[in-house]
Amino acid sequence: MRAATAAYGMFGLALSALLAVVPLLVSGYYLALGISVLSYTVLATSWALFSGPTRYISLATAAFFGIGAYTAAILGEKLPWPLVLAVAALIGIAVALVVGLSTLRLSGIYFVIFTFGLTELVRQLVTWYEVNIHGSVGRYIFVDVTQPVIYWYLLALAALVFLAGWLIGRSRLGLALRVIGDDEGVAGHCGIDITRAKLTVFSLSAVFMTVTGAIMAPRWTYIDPAISFNAFTSFQTLIMALFGGATRLFGPLLGVVPLVVLFELLGAHFPNYFSILLGVVFMVIVYLLPQGVAGLFTRGPPRLRTVGIGARLAERIGRVFDRPQASPPPVAAADGEAVPEILATRGLRKAFGGLVAVDNLELSVRKGEILGLIGPNGSGKTTVLNLISGAYRADAGEIRFRGQRIEALKPHRIAQLGVARTFQLVRVLGSMTCVENVIAGLAFRSPAVWGGRAEQMARALVDRVGLGARAGMPADELTYVDQKRLELARALAMQPELLLLDEWLAGLNPAELNDGIALVRSLRNDGLSIVVVEHVMDAIRSLCDRCVVMNAGCKIAQGPPAVVLADREVVRAYLGDADA
Amino acid sequence: MLPGLILGGMYALVAMGLTLQYGVARIMNLSYGEFLVAAALATFFLYTGLGVSPLLGLLIAVPAAYVLNWAIYQLLLVPLVRRAKNRDMLEVDSILATFGMLFVVQGLAHVLVGGQYYSYSYLSIPLSILGSTVALNRLIALLFAALIGLALYFALTRTRAGMAIRAVAVDPVSAGLVAIDVRRASAFAFALGGALVAAAGVLVSVFLTLNASMGVVFTTKALIVVIMGGVGNLLGALLAGLVLGLAETAVARLIDPGLTLAANFALFLIVLLWRPTGLFGGAAR
Repeated sequence: MRAATAAYGMFGLALSALLAVVPLLVSGYYLALGISVLSYTVLATSWALFSGPTRYISLATAAFFGIGAYTAAILGEKLPWPLVLAVAALIGIAVALVVGLSTLRLSGIYFVIFTFGLTELVRQLVTWYEVNIHGSVGRYIFVDVTQPVIYWYLLALAALVFLAGWLIGRSRLGLALRVIGDDEGVAGHCGIDITRAKLTVFSLSAVFMTVTGAIMAPRWTYIDPAISFNAFTSFQTLIMALFGGATRLFGPLLGVVPLVVLFELLGAHFPNYFSILLGVVFMVIVYLLPQGVAGLFTRGPPRLRTVGIGARLAERIGRVFDRPQASPPPVAAADGEAVPEILATRGLRKAFGGLVAVDNLELSVRKGEILGLIGPNGSGKTTVLNLISGAYRADAGEIRFRGQRIEALKPHRIAQLGVARTFQLVRVLGSMTCVENVIAGLAFRSPAVWGGRAEQMARALVDRVGLGARAGMPADELTYVDQKRLELARALAMQPELLLLDEWLAGLNPAELNDGIALVRSLRNDGLSIVVVEHVMDAIRSLCDRCVVMNAGCKIAQGPPAVVLADREVVRAYLGDADA
Repeated sequence: MLPGLILGGMYALVAMGLTLQYGVARIMNLSYGEFLVAAALATFFLYTGLGVSPLLGLLIAVPAAYVLNWAIYQLLLVPLVRRAKNRDMLEVDSILATFGMLFVVQGLAHVLVGGQYYSYSYLSIPLSILGSTVALNRLIALLFAALIGLALYFALTRTRAGMAIRAVAVDPVSAGLVAIDVRRASAFAFALGGALVAAAGVLVSVFLTLNASMGVVFTTKALIVVIMGGVGNLLGALLAGLVLGLAETAVARLIDPGLTLAANFALFLIVLLWRPTGLFGGAAR
C-alpha cells in the first residue's frame, strides 16, 4: 500500500516536472493548446469534486470563472499578481458560501436551473455596473503575465486540485459526499452534517474555478461580461467531466484532453460546421458513453479507501476543522423511579395540512426496555419515529432524550447524541458495499471511527447480522431481507443508546422472523433501549416489555402486550366495532 | 400596463410548449428555443418568398413541427427514457442530449440562413388603446396565443386524452397502473409541445426581429416561466408569464432598462428559493 502510494507520488512529481518544461520547448499554438487543456482540467476536475459524488449538476462554473476573471481585470494593475489570485480565491469562497447556503437545499433540476440562472444574473449585474458606473462594457487587462507563466500557474493549480481530490477521496468528508449522493435522508441519520459537508466541497471547488478565471484573464487582454461569464464554459466543463467520468478523480482528465483537442480541430478545419459537429459529439457521449471513458476501464463505483497515508493525512487535516463533542452525562433515575427514562415526549403534535398525524402524544421509553409502538395503518407511528429522529420538525410539544431537549435539533445532531433508526421502506446506500454502508454509520457518529479500526468494526457488525459472506457486495444487489439486516448493522454502528426499528421484522419468513426476534432481543441484552413499530403480533408479544397503542394520531392504550392487545378500544381500532 | 401584459402574454405563449414537454414527458428540452427560431425563420421565408401569410403559415408549421417532434421523441429520447432508473437521471440525460441538439439545430440554421437578422412587415399598423400605442400585429399574435392557450386548457381538462396527459404529469408510474399508455402519452405531449413552440415561433416572427442564434434567449425565458408557474401547470405558466412581463416593463420604466434581464433572473431565483415547486403549487392543473 505504502509502496504503491509512493510510486504514484513519484510518478505525479515526474509528470509535473515533465509538463513544466513544455513552455520552454514549444510556443504559440501548442502552448495555447496546453493552456486550454490545463484550464479545463482544473475546471472539470474541481467540478467533479463536488458534482461527481453528490450528483448535484452545477452550471455555476462560468459564474465563478467570470468572477475570477473580473477580479483580475479590476485589481491586475493595482496589486502584485499572486495577491490578485489570493483575493480572487477569497471572493470565490465568499460567493460560494452565500450561494451554497441559499441553494443547496434545492435538488435535482431546480439546482441545475438555479445555478444556470445565477450565472446569468451575475452577468447581467456586471454588465449593468460596467455600462452605468464604470462607463464602458469591456476592460483591458495590461498585466505583465506571459503565456508560459499562465501555463505554470495553471499546472500548479492542477496539481493542487488533484492533491485535494486525492485527500478528499480518502477522507470522511469524501465518504459523506457519497452518502449524500446516494441518499440524503440516510446521510443525516448517519450523523453527517449535510449542509457543512456540501458547503465545504462546493466552496473548495468554487475556489479552484475562480482562481482559474483569474489566471486566464491576462490571456484575453480585453474582457467583457459576455466573454468571461459565458454559459458555454459551464456546459463545456460539464460535458468534459461527464465524458471522462465524474465519479473518479482522474476521470475528468480523460474527457478534457480528447475533447479540447477535438474542439480545437473542429474549430480550425470546419468553422462553418463547428456547431453541428459539437452537438453531434455531445449526443454521442450521452448515448454511447453514459459512464464516461473511465467507465470503460473500471466496473462499478469506486471503492472506499480508509487506510494508507492519504487517509491518515486527510483525517489529520479534518480533525483541525472538527469541533470536539462533549460526551453526555450518564442518565440518572429520577426520584421514585426504579429505571431511568431515556426518552420522553410531551404534547407532541404534527399535522400535514388538515391531517393531524400525531396529536398531543405523551410517550416514555425506559432505559433497557423494548417499547412496542403499535396501531392500525395510518395511526401515526412512523411519524412519531420521524419526529424523534429529526426527519420531521414537530409543530408543538417537546422531546427529551436523556433529559436533553432534541425536538429542534437536526437529524445529524440527534444521531450523534445516540439515536439510530431503520426505515420502513428499507434505505441502504446502493452504490456502496455492505462494509462501506456500515462504515458510513461509524465515521460520523460521536466519537467517530475511521481507518483500519473502522474497517474491522464494520466487518464484525456485518458478521453479527449474518451478512459476513456478502461483506464486499454492493448493497443494491442484496435481497430485501439482507438489505434490512444491513440497515440494522448500519444503525448499530452508530453505537446508539436508543434504537428505532420501523417494521424491521415485516416481510420475513417464519425462520427469518425467529432469527430476527432473537437478534433484537440480544440487542436489548446488550443494554440498548429499543422502540419497535411493528404489525407482526407474534414479535410484539415475545419481544416487547410494554406497548403504546396509537389510533388516528392519539395514544389509546399502554401497558404490557397481553393487556393492551385485549383492550376493547384497541380491538375496535384494529378490527372495527363488530369485533370489539 | 398594456405593453407589460402583451409582453407577458408572449412569454406565456412561448412557455406553454415547454411546460408540456417538461411537465409531462419529463424532457428538459434545452433546444426548445432553437425550434421556435426555426419556425419563425421558416415563416419569414414562406412570407417573403412565396407570399404565404403568417397566419396561413401556422397551418403548415404546426403539423410539421408535431411530426418532427414526435419523431425526435421516438428516435432520440425513448432510449434515454428506457435507460433512466429514475426521474433525476432522465432529467440530466435529457439536458445533455437536448443541449447537443441545440447546437445541431443552431448550426443547421446558420448554414442555411447565415447569421444576419430577419424581419418582415405584416399588419404593423399602430393602434391606440387605453393610452398606449400597440401595433396591430402584436395584438393579433396575442389573440391567437390566447385562443391556442384556451383550446389547450379545455383539451387537457375536458377530454380523455387530456386527462391521461395530466395523469402522466402527476405520476407516470401510477398512470401506467390505470392502463394509460405512458410512453404514448409522453410522445404525444412532447410532440404537442413541439407544435406549440412552432406556433409561438410563427406568431412572434410577425413582430420580432430574429437571427439564427437567438434561440437560447427564448429557452431561458420559457424555462423561467415554466419553473415559476409550476412544472406542467398551464394556468401557472400563463400567470407567471404575465407576472414576468409586467415586472420587466415596470423595472424598465421605473428603474433602469439595462436591469430588466437582471430583474428577470432575480425574480426567478427568489421564487425558486421561496417556492421551488412554483408560484402556483402542484403539477398539472
